Amino acid sequence: MSKAIVIGGGTDALVAAQMLARAGREVITLEGNTARDEGWVPPKVLRELRLEGLKLEWPDPWLTVPLPGGGRLELWRDMARSVDAIRRVSEHDAGRWPEFCSRIARLARFLEAVYAAPPPDPLSARFALRARRLGALGLADLLRILPMPVAELLDDWFENAALKGALGAAGVLHLLQGPRSGGTAFRFLHHHVGCPPGVFRPPRSNIVELLHRLPRVELQQAELMRISVRGGAVAGVVLKDGRELEASTVVSGVDPRRSLLELVEPGWLDPELVRALRHVRRRGVAARIRLELDRSPGFSALALAPSLDYLERAYDEAKHGRVSRQPYIEARCEGSRMEVLVQYAPYGVACRGLLEKTVALLGEHWGDAQPQQTEFASPRELEDSEGWPEGQPHHAELSLDQALWMRPLPELARYRTPIEGLWLCGPAMHPGAGIAGAAGLNCAHAILGR
Amino acid sequence: MLRYDVIVVGGGHNGLVCAAYLARAGRKVLVLERRERIGGAAVTEELFPGFRFSVFSYVVSLLRPEIIRDLELPRHGLHILPLESTLTPLENGDYLGQWNDHDHNRRELARHSVRDAEAYDEFGLMLHQMARAVKPLLAMAPPDPTSLSLGELFGMKRLAEHFQGLGARRFNTLTKLLTMSSADFLDEWFETEALKATKSASGIIGTLLGPRSPGTAYVLLHHYMGELDGVFRAWGFAKGGNGSVSAAIAGAAQAAGAEIRTSAPVSKVLIRGSKARGVVLEDGEEIRAKLVVSGADPRRTFLQLVGEEHLPDAFVDAIKRFRFRGASAKVNLALGEAPDFTCLPGRGAHLRGAISISPSVAYLERAYDEAKYGEVSRHPYMDIVIPSMIDPSMAPPGKHVMSIFVQYAPYHVNGGWTDARREALGDTVVETLSQYAPNLKNAILHRQVVTPADIERIVGLTEGNIFQGELSLQQMFFLRPVPAWAKYRTPLSGLYQCGAGTHPGGGVMGASGRNAALQILGAA
Repeated sequence: MSKAIVIGGGTDALVAAQMLARAGREVITLEGNTARDEGWVPPKVLRELRLEGLKLEWPDPWLTVPLPGGGRLELWRDMARSVDAIRRVSEHDAGRWPEFCSRIARLARFLEAVYAAPPPDPLSARFALRARRLGALGLADLLRILPMPVAELLDDWFENAALKGALGAAGVLHLLQGPRSGGTAFRFLHHHVGCPPGVFRPPRSNIVELLHRLPRVELQQAELMRISVRGGAVAGVVLKDGRELEASTVVSGVDPRRSLLELVEPGWLDPELVRALRHVRRRGVAARIRLELDRSPGFSALALAPSLDYLERAYDEAKHGRVSRQPYIEARCEGSRMEVLVQYAPYGVACRGLLEKTVALLGEHWGDAQPQQTEFASPRELEDSEGWPEGQPHHAELSLDQALWMRPLPELARYRTPIEGLWLCGPAMHPGAGIAGAAGLNCAHAILGR
Repeated sequence: MLRYDVIVVGGGHNGLVCAAYLARAGRKVLVLERRERIGGAAVTEELFPGFRFSVFSYVVSLLRPEIIRDLELPRHGLHILPLESTLTPLENGDYLGQWNDHDHNRRELARHSVRDAEAYDEFGLMLHQMARAVKPLLAMAPPDPTSLSLGELFGMKRLAEHFQGLGARRFNTLTKLLTMSSADFLDEWFETEALKATKSASGIIGTLLGPRSPGTAYVLLHHYMGELDGVFRAWGFAKGGNGSVSAAIAGAAQAAGAEIRTSAPVSKVLIRGSKARGVVLEDGEEIRAKLVVSGADPRRTFLQLVGEEHLPDAFVDAIKRFRFRGASAKVNLALGEAPDFTCLPGRGAHLRGAISISPSVAYLERAYDEAKYGEVSRHPYMDIVIPSMIDPSMAPPGKHVMSIFVQYAPYHVNGGWTDARREALGDTVVETLSQYAPNLKNAILHRQVVTPADIERIVGLTEGNIFQGELSLQQMFFLRPVPAWAKYRTPLSGLYQCGAGTHPGGGVMGASGRNAALQILGAA
């Protein structure tokens, strides 16, 4: 059996490597161990790798939203409890919450099914039948909501600014768009996939730990120089230390532009594909802060996005190439440890003072706690440390034109590249973007001809 | 015996097209127009003695060629004069010209970027192919994807086959056009800022969206779908102003026997036993007919003329969610002399084309930024034409009329529209334009400023939206105006809709009126 080399250590790459090993291939992984426990894991991944004991975790309340003039809105996993909390800010919104949640959840279930398989052919009868199962109302909702701005969707349903801001933030997470941009309602839906109705933030899981429990595939701690191609087919890889490894299959979990334009010698690809690859958008927009407090901050997850206009104004600055003066901040805690996302901090723009500002803004909400340690990473630093191109964790922005059968490009959406034996499996591939393992699984299936 | 088979509410171009088709099929048709003149937003008015203006819509391109043919509009007086160029003055004193003459155009683009000059033809070809791919859909009553009836399933299947027939490559490009922002889409083709901005401006016309907002690439294509004399994306003037378009259609309708009454405002659709049976005019006169077709926009039709109480709740909710948000204004100037642009002095051919104030994508995006928080753009996007340069009958000898389309002037402006705000908008426009043509200020003899609120008040377009509802992806095709009711029918038997609030939307296309008429004739 021929050798397979898997490049990149994300969850998708790990899953692909395990799937190939399970099918009897000799597998070597390179550049490995950057897998993170973010996002939903489709049950199919667990089934096929016979993984047991997956835990998906949301904080409870899954979001705390400070209210203007003091007080907090807490959104809980328990629907009735959320309704009670919302009633304190708006009777109208509390009344609409259950129906909103159930209608959005129905659409998310549809996406769950779509995400567990390779990208659908939108014109196929099969896809049409699947969409039909949503029923007339569900289908009309889907067609209408996908291209919408998340702001319009929320304006249709709710009136309270704090609630809409906190929900709308899920539509622009890691995206260089504001809530009034088209397609952000799709992002809102995307991040709801795998969540219980009424929870609009992706879960954390222990998938990496579970994957590491499997029999290890060989890991070479070596840096990759290039993928060698002979006669239009993959021949193996060359490492920075000069070693060459032969393989007939190379599976890349790093971003497609690096995989095909940097690691492969120029000349093997059609110039039109090269041009299209250069236009895949992958703009990082969020900085990350890790904090260690001397005590628990008194919340498990906190969002500072007081209104849709606040988010939109934060985006306006990023759109014109500046860091938001009033950024959207989202913090998630485990005990006294906190990870904070700060958006918008466009890639390549200096984030002067952003750490201090964020700590000060959060400080208003954590009472007497004192930060002991802080660690700041701009998108550029995240590019270096995490291997995220331009600091974009999804490797290719998940917008409607880079989703489903267009992800990252129509020509590459089926995990196969024009170079025989070279495959793509990272977050830039369908479904990717925070859905853990599914792209790796789909890619392995394609390689194994299933 | 009823005197009329069909009453068409509203004598805008779609209502007239619908009436003409129905009359030609032998129906007894009555068109009722609220104003003292027909045409809706396609009118020519002599606002100042000797100066005639296309007060609202001001160019022709999208009017469907089958309508021009079927209704023999040239015989009824339609004469279209081509617009041959687009000039974009730049902030640094230079300009970018786009010319219909291929060699001239290429030389001009190459002055800014050789790469763009190379890409231009290929880009044109691609958009041409896309326009071709969409063209059959324009003349179609959209199938209902939510219905399980055999006819609708068959319609969806045919639609899928149409897209399959395009081939993967074209289908993917079309999907990108539907989902991308016009700025992102153009970034893939060009590098000259002014070229990208001027092209992306077609993507924001009539909508409260910026060029970086996804969905605007489709609006760009929408404006490329004009065919004049068999040439895609040709734009022109109607001789005598856009009122001549309406007059020609009305002429065709009347020749076929349709009756047109002006100053006949409809106050209600007459409903008995959940069926539309005619209309009631504001003066109380009742006119009965077998069918009523509304050319008014969806909100006006259903919430005002029909009334919520006659409609299902879910339908009413959906209509209330249909978005208008007009963002466009017009400034019409009577000039003592032609404007003299610093970047291209004199009275050259450029004055016979369009002039676009869109120096960069960031300029347009900043103009949008102000509008989304309810302010008028301080430096607005403008699309300018000087009809009297091509059609001397529009102004007294030696004098000129200038039509300026302005964006963004949001309907929901902070504090509401007042006379002072209207004049301030006019000043902003004149001020901005004077930076490029300094003689303009002193050349102005008269000025008319039309805000979205004025458009709503005068023409009856809700929130002044020039397309009778935003042309965004969630309000298009089988979703326009609401899912399951995109086939020109309504939940009330005997009531149809034929305005631009239905598929395929606005831009003086006439397709909605024609499609509605064909649906009515097919159903009978």
